[in-house]
Formats: sequence, structure tokens, C-alpha cells
Amino acid sequence: MKTTEKILLNYDPEKENLLPVLKEISSFFGFISEKNAQKIADYFSLSLSQIFETASFYDFLKVKNSPQIFIKICSGTVCATIGTRKIIKEIENKLKIKIGDDFNPRIKLETASCLGHCGEGPIVIVNGQVYKKVTVSSIHEILEKYV
Amino acid sequence: MKKNIKIITKHWGKINPLRIEEYLKEGGYKALEKFIFQMRPEEAIQEIEASNLCGRGGAGFPTGKKLKMVAERKEKEKYFICNLDESEPGTYKDRMIVKNNPQLLLEGLIISALTVGASKAFIYLNGNYEEEKYILEKALAQAEKEKFLGEKILSSGYNLELKLFFGAGAYICGEETALINSIEGKRGEPRMRPPYPTEKGLWEKPTAVNNAETIANIPWIILEGGKKFATIGAECSPGTKLYILSGAINNPGVFEAPTGITVRQLIKEIGGGIPKGKKFWFAQIGGASGVLAIGKDLDAELTFSKNCLIPLGSGSVLVIDKSVEIYDLLFSWSDFFRRESCGKCLPCREGTFRLNEIIQRFEDGKISQRDKKALGQILWSLENTAFCPFGKFVAKPFQDALERLDIFKNV
Repeated sequence: MKTTEKILLNYDPEKENLLPVLKEISSFFGFISEKNAQKIADYFSLSLSQIFETASFYDFLKVKNSPQIFIKICSGTVCATIGTRKIIKEIENKLKIKIGDDFNPRIKLETASCLGHCGEGPIVIVNGQVYKKVTVSSIHEILEKYV
Repeated sequence: MKKNIKIITKHWGKINPLRIEEYLKEGGYKALEKFIFQMRPEEAIQEIEASNLCGRGGAGFPTGKKLKMVAERKEKEKYFICNLDESEPGTYKDRMIVKNNPQLLLEGLIISALTVGASKAFIYLNGNYEEEKYILEKALAQAEKEKFLGEKILSSGYNLELKLFFGAGAYICGEETALINSIEGKRGEPRMRPPYPTEKGLWEKPTAVNNAETIANIPWIILEGGKKFATIGAECSPGTKLYILSGAINNPGVFEAPTGITVRQLIKEIGGGIPKGKKFWFAQIGGASGVLAIGKDLDAELTFSKNCLIPLGSGSVLVIDKSVEIYDLLFSWSDFFRRESCGKCLPCREGTFRLNEIIQRFEDGKISQRDKKALGQILWSLENTAFCPFGKFVAKPFQDALERLDIFKNV
């Protein structure tokens, strides 16, 4: 069983290792809890606020537990020119949410920049599962699986 | 102008990136040997200065000058960083260098780091590049085994420790001071300049930060000489450049060609023209923050010089045909910039947010006179008052869209 302590001991307590440690803990536990942040702070001899200062900045680091349904949609230039906007409108109407806001604790919709599948867009990612060549009609089928 | 000269892409597709032996068979690491056994660091820097090589990340700062500035500092501890945090949408040239020939990059990196007297070097890799991370880790281990890295390189007095640093998904970390902050475990926000990183960079020590493509040119310059390099391509910024062609074009991909090439040549001769039935509208040069080249700019030469009409930027060329809706693009840009603005300075944090709001209203057709006026003001403040170049980057495509494409025609 991997624990926070075990992850920490793989690294020297030098500041250049802070970001790698935060990344590993965030991806292993899903997010960086206050308890874990305190442990990291003690290990690196930093204050708790310094840990959160860094952790809240980067896309790959999460400081809140992610919602049950987390939808990401690519708005890179290539995907955007083949229909991202229409799909966003469709999701917003179906799930009664607005892109980017936190009002619904269960569902969250976010845009992401280029996810590296430019030839097969538009790309939608639901809870880590990648859907390619999504259309206004196929998005309904995809969402049915989760709602 | 000499065409078909290949510096970076010479061995692409011919060698296995995971095997150093194949690179060695093709004459790899000869430049490092020449540097270590026949040259002093100052001579190598002189060569690089004579080559007039300038930074390929987009800003175009003379590489030789930067290396010299760091080399002349008296501090004992110095750092060298290879910037591989490529996150500009539609740009993947550095990724292709790693995928096709990682050893060329390492060779250039080792030589550059040794010329400035750095004892530790970093490669800052984009956090999304999982496959490239694997390739680089393998390449690093192999280079170390062959004694090109580590202590006593090729049994000489040179030592170099090379570390792979993996980013965490932030566009702004491609800016050198933000990148340095990120390695130090801080928020990836840009720093006040001066002091420049060449004086006080990583851990307050002199640091040279160079783009991966710039570094990949170094072995050729050391072997063939700076003067020869200076004769390739445009006079103000010589050499070759990797161009990334995408959008409405027959063969998209990464291609090497000399600087000073025109957009028309790129699209016609290298990209194979525009697909049948599509009509050229404009081309965006240099990623999401690039300028928009319309019909009359197509014959302008692409260089890194500040005086040229169309700056090269990162070298990506996105061809847009008339079937594309401009709202889609405006939305993509504004959404990207809003998300990636680091939030340090007000003009950029608020400006990108409001810009995104206005563009969304624009799409719905609800744009008012007030919005139009505000748009101009936001773009002005972004260009003139933002803390780091990011603000200018944001303003550029929108200003061009307003001036050159006349997007408010129907509103």
C-alpha cells in the first residue's frame, strides 16, 4: 500500500522536488487534501500556505475532490473550427449547467486546450474516458451513460 | 538561397530514436568530441555568435549573446535549461525533435551547458508529453552509459548533471522566468525583469534558458562552423526553421526549411497547396498568439527580425479557408487565453476574462456598441500594460482580426 509518507521518502526534501511530489500525490489520491498538504509542508520545511500557493496554480494539481461527472471538451483551434461551440451548448442545455462554473457539485463542464488528437476532433473527455469525433447527436448517447 | 539543407531533420525517420548506436553510426556526438578535445568554451561561443543563430522559441534573441552573458558571470554555480514546455496550440515541433532524434537534442544541450560552465542542466518537458518523457529517459540513460553525461565526460575534466523536469500543465511556464519559478516549486508566474535570468535565474544563479530547437542547431554549428551557418536563409536571422503546417492544407506536418521563406512558398511548395474546393482566407503564423496573414502578406519573408511584417514566432502556420466561421476561432483563442492567464497582473487577468465574455456575446449576436468600444480598450491595455509578453500575445490575433478581417461588418 502506497502512502503519503512512502511517496515523500522517494524524494529529497529539496524545493525542485516539490512540484513532482505534488503531482504524484494529486494523481494518486485524486486531489491534495489538507492533511496531505500539511505532511508535504513538514517534509519540505515550508508553510501550509506555500504548498497551496503552488498547488492551486497548476492544471494537473487538484486541491478539491473532483465531481462525480467531470466533462472536458477541447476548444483548441482545430476542434473549435469543427463544432466545439455547438456541442458545449448541447451539453449545457441537457445537463442544465453552465460551462466553467461550480454551482452543481456533482457535474462539472470545462474547456481544455489542445489534447493532442487534432485529426479526430471534436474531443470530449468524460471522467478520463476519451470520446473522439463527437457530434451534436452522439453527445446525448455519451452523456446517458453517466447521468 | 540554398534549399533542401537539413540540419535538424537530417536523420529523421532513418534512425531508431531509442537506440544511441544508430545515432553514433550516423556521426553523432562528433560535435561533442570536437568541442571537448579541440576547442575552448570561448571559441565555441565565438562560433555560435558568428553563426548569428537566434532563439527559435519565438522571441529571436541571439543565442551566442545569451550564452556569452552567462559564461562571463563569475559565479561558480550556473544552470542551463532546455525549454521543452511546448504548449502553444498547433505547435509540436519540439515534440517531433524528441520523437525522431532525442540524441541530437542531448548533444546540443551538453555542448551548450558546457560552454557556459553550467554544472547542472534541466530539460523542462511539457506535462502532457508522456511518450516523449519515456524516450528522453531512455536517451538520457544511454548517453550516460556512453560517458557523454555525468562525471568526467569522455574522460575529460567536464562534469554535467542532467535532470528531466516534468511540467504540470501551464502555458505560461513556457516563459523563461515563469519556467524557473516552476522548477523552484513556486507558482509559475513570470518574474520582474531586470534582473534577467542570465544574471539571476534559477536559485538566483546565472541561468541560460534555450528552446529545444535552438539547441538542436548547436552540434551542426560546432562541426561545420558558424560562418557557414550564417549563409543559410535570411540574413537577419539565418539558419533553418521547423515549420508546422496545419488547417486547410494538403500535407500537414512538420517540415524544415530555411528562414526567409514566404507564406506562399510554404503553402504551395511544402504543404502541397490548399485542398480542392476550398478558398484561402488567411493564415495564422506562430500559434494562437500569432499574426494573421491575409492575401497581400503572402509574399513577405518570414524572419525573426522585429522589422519584418510577419514575425515567425514558433513557426506554426494554420491555414484557414473561407468555410470556417470566424466566431469559432475567436472563441477558441479567447477561451484559451482566459484559461491560461496566470492571474498575476490585472490587465491580463481581467482583460482575458472580459474578452471571452464579449466574444461569447458576439457569437450570440448580442454585441452592443459599448462592447465594441470596450474591446478596443481591452486590447490596448493588454498590449501596453501587461506584465509579461503574454498580454501582447493575446492582443495580437484579435487586433489583426479587427483590422484585417473586418469581423464587425455584419453586426
